[in-house]
Amino acid sequence: MTAAAELYEPKLGALPTLTGTPTHYCAGCEHGTLTRLIAKAIDELGVRERTVMVSSVGCSVLAHEYLNVDAVQAPHGRAPAVMAGIKRVRPDLLTFAVQGDGDAVSIGLLELLNAANRGEPITVFLVNNAIYGMTGGQMAPTTPSGMVTTTTPAGRDPVTTGPPIDATRLVAAFESPAYVKRVFLPILPTPSPRVFNARGALEGAKAVRHAFEVQQRGGFAFVEFVSTCSVNWKLGILEAKRYAAEVLRPLFPPGLYRDRFAVEGR
Amino acid sequence: MTSETIVAGHGGQGVLELANWLAYFHLLRGRHVAYTPSYGPETRGGKVKCYVVASEDPIDSPIVEAPDLLIAMNLPSMDYVPLLRPGGTLLVNSSLVRDGPGRTDVTVERVPAVELASGLGRYVPEGGRDPSIAANSVMLGAALGLAREGPARTRATVEEVFRHYLTDRKAAYLPLNLNAVDAGFAFVVRSLLPA
Amino acid sequence: MSDVREFLKGNEALAYGALRTGLNAYFAYPITPSSEIPETLATEFARSTFPDFRTFLQAASELEAINMVIGAAATGAKAMTATSGPGFSLKQEGLSYAAGMELPLLVVDVNRAGPGLGNLGPEQTDYFQATRGGGHGGYPTLVLAPSSVPEMASFPALGFDLAFAYRTPVILLADAFLGQLKEDLVFPDVPSPSYDVAWAATGARGEARHVLSSLHLELADQSRHSRHLLDKRTRIAQREQRAEEVGTEDAEIVFVAYGICARLARRAVRILRSRSIRAGLLRPITLAPFPERRVRQLIEQGRRKFLVVELNAGQMVDDVRLAAGGAANVELLGEMGGLLPSSLDLVRAAEAMAR
Ligand SMILES: Cc1ncc(C[n+]2csc(CCOP(=O)(O)OP(=O)(O)O)c2C)c(N)n1
Ligand code: SF4
Ligand SMILES: [Mg+2]
Repeated sequence: MTAAAELYEPKLGALPTLTGTPTHYCAGCEHGTLTRLIAKAIDELGVRERTVMVSSVGCSVLAHEYLNVDAVQAPHGRAPAVMAGIKRVRPDLLTFAVQGDGDAVSIGLLELLNAANRGEPITVFLVNNAIYGMTGGQMAPTTPSGMVTTTTPAGRDPVTTGPPIDATRLVAAFESPAYVKRVFLPILPTPSPRVFNARGALEGAKAVRHAFEVQQRGGFAFVEFVSTCSVNWKLGILEAKRYAAEVLRPLFPPGLYRDRFAVEGR
Repeated sequence: MTSETIVAGHGGQGVLELANWLAYFHLLRGRHVAYTPSYGPETRGGKVKCYVVASEDPIDSPIVEAPDLLIAMNLPSMDYVPLLRPGGTLLVNSSLVRDGPGRTDVTVERVPAVELASGLGRYVPEGGRDPSIAANSVMLGAALGLAREGPARTRATVEEVFRHYLTDRKAAYLPLNLNAVDAGFAFVVRSLLPA
Repeated sequence: MSDVREFLKGNEALAYGALRTGLNAYFAYPITPSSEIPETLATEFARSTFPDFRTFLQAASELEAINMVIGAAATGAKAMTATSGPGFSLKQEGLSYAAGMELPLLVVDVNRAGPGLGNLGPEQTDYFQATRGGGHGGYPTLVLAPSSVPEMASFPALGFDLAFAYRTPVILLADAFLGQLKEDLVFPDVPSPSYDVAWAATGARGEARHVLSSLHLELADQSRHSRHLLDKRTRIAQREQRAEEVGTEDAEIVFVAYGICARLARRAVRILRSRSIRAGLLRPITLAPFPERRVRQLIEQGRRKFLVVELNAGQMVDDVRLAAGGAANVELLGEMGGLLPSSLDLVRAAEAMAR
């Protein structure tokens, strides 16, 4: 919890769409990265005054304390339904939610997939950290087989709990979504101790922007961010990044799974 | 004055329509009306039983417990005869029910609704259904005959009822149903004449 | 339009009543015996007859539906959903969140019979769930009970008025009988009201943000918010108790009944008076707040016998007994399973009590 932690300090910096409130995210957590990427995209698009974010339940539950926009709280898993309700009466607004894997893929799978199938013009950012972060490290639907969590002390057994669910491919199985993308968000150590590979964050920044543009053009946009939760994985921050690269990245391959409006170019 | 009616029969006999038309007839005559279609536990096994209450005054309860009139479209409907108010009337579809009411304090009108409707084939639209489907309108006509509101006024109101409900594809059946009402009305009025 | 006498099912009348008061959005999952509500609204939505009616959507579940209503209501829209018992259970989560976030919205429950799937007949067994608040955490409840088709038509307007006045969900608790019953009615020709929605989340202008959240991690914050909700409940209880009365001035026995049971009780009152028993009826229009003040006043005025008629094993009777505080004889006539007591059952029970 030293050098790398400083890269993920709780202060997100100064942007109009950031309130400046210090975050509660753990050091090294991609929730913090994503919050900043979202603020930046909203500023760049100049849509802050038309944005209503929906707070989901998970470590992102307080995101509205950090993002300087209007906000509505959704019950655990229901954010896509709340967003659909907002957009159905106010298509002029921009709405998004940051959902955890438990929120979106377990308790809220019905809401996610039905919103996707209807092609609701909303934006879902999924933080897939393969675990229930907020509640202290229980198994998530995305937990890799064999991974030890507080509710799978002998490692996740796919025979009794099923294999991990690939949310991106599930969403992409429907015809209606306009933009489906998976980004590997963690920075990665390089051979040089003070140099980190931050390609994920750069890709993530573009994906957030694209997801908003797609919504503005009336499409359903879904971006999954493969992330870490060093605290609940019980690993050091950098170890967690490496684990994510070695175990999660092959399981949840990054890539563009749908781009109906060709926002990423041909 | 409040009139309370039970209309009973089985699915496919147009019982719900008949009860609804009867209620709407009273509405058009300026009365308060309440119509309860079969609901919940009553609807098992294809049994249909509806309540129609019509009154000059606001209606306290829409539930008919002691009807002035029972329109019995089939044999199982005769189960409700004991509910009839003393002095009430049983209007029975004699095409399907031969039994008597088993009580002497009610008036019985037997109307061969299926036979009367079957004779109206000429009013069925090209390639349309069997005229016997209008047996419910025959019974409506009979019930209105008993109400003695005068043939001309009754007919004008019935026409209005049908124009309200027989729309789109059903409009082609307006002549059949009107003539069926006339047939039922005439049948009852004739039988009411002193012999 | 004001002189046109309509002839509609309770469910249809409710749908039109909502449209006439400017309904903006309807989201629901179909369930008998409430289905005529979405069917009527879908038809009118397709016809675009009501310009305020911006959205009709069949949701994938009652959970999805109530959360869509939450989203729409959060923008200040007049949003509604309708269901029956099994779906009402699923909506409790959303109701708790909506009450916690202080969102005005309308939930209709056309009460059917039995726990689990039960049957499609009428019951009043959702009384506790509606009036106590079936969701978690403790929040104010406002429950209206129509007793006729004209009231099915007019209560959406009353419901939205109250929901926006107090910024809280309002439940319209009907029963399967009222949903299916057809009666004549005249829609009042009143313009649809517009409410103050300065609190709505429609985008932050300048520094003024609208954050609608039920999360208060600081204990003191939550305590303040809970106290605020409690104050709201008290205000509602003081100002909004509503009831209709028939013959209570001189009654030796007072029926207490709502919904379809109140109709039976009206008839029973008439029969009993024809038999020289002075019966009366107290019909709660608001089940929450329960019109306990009227019960107490009636007792002060000398009424000592109350016969509660309801389609359950005894729920509202608790509220009558609480209000009476032991100062009156309060008895229950309950029926269940989709069956109704007969007015003669009521008459006999009242006669036995009057003796
Ligand atoms: C109905 C309900 N059930 C359970 C919870 C407890 N709970 C809160 S967050 C959460 C899971 C969080 O995991 P995830 O969605 O993956 O988000 P993360 O914290 O990992 O970002 C659970 C089970 C709740 N708030 N509501
Ligand atoms: S618990 Fe895990 S997911 Fe939550 S903030 Fe900490 S590191 Fe991030
Ligand atoms: Mg998680």
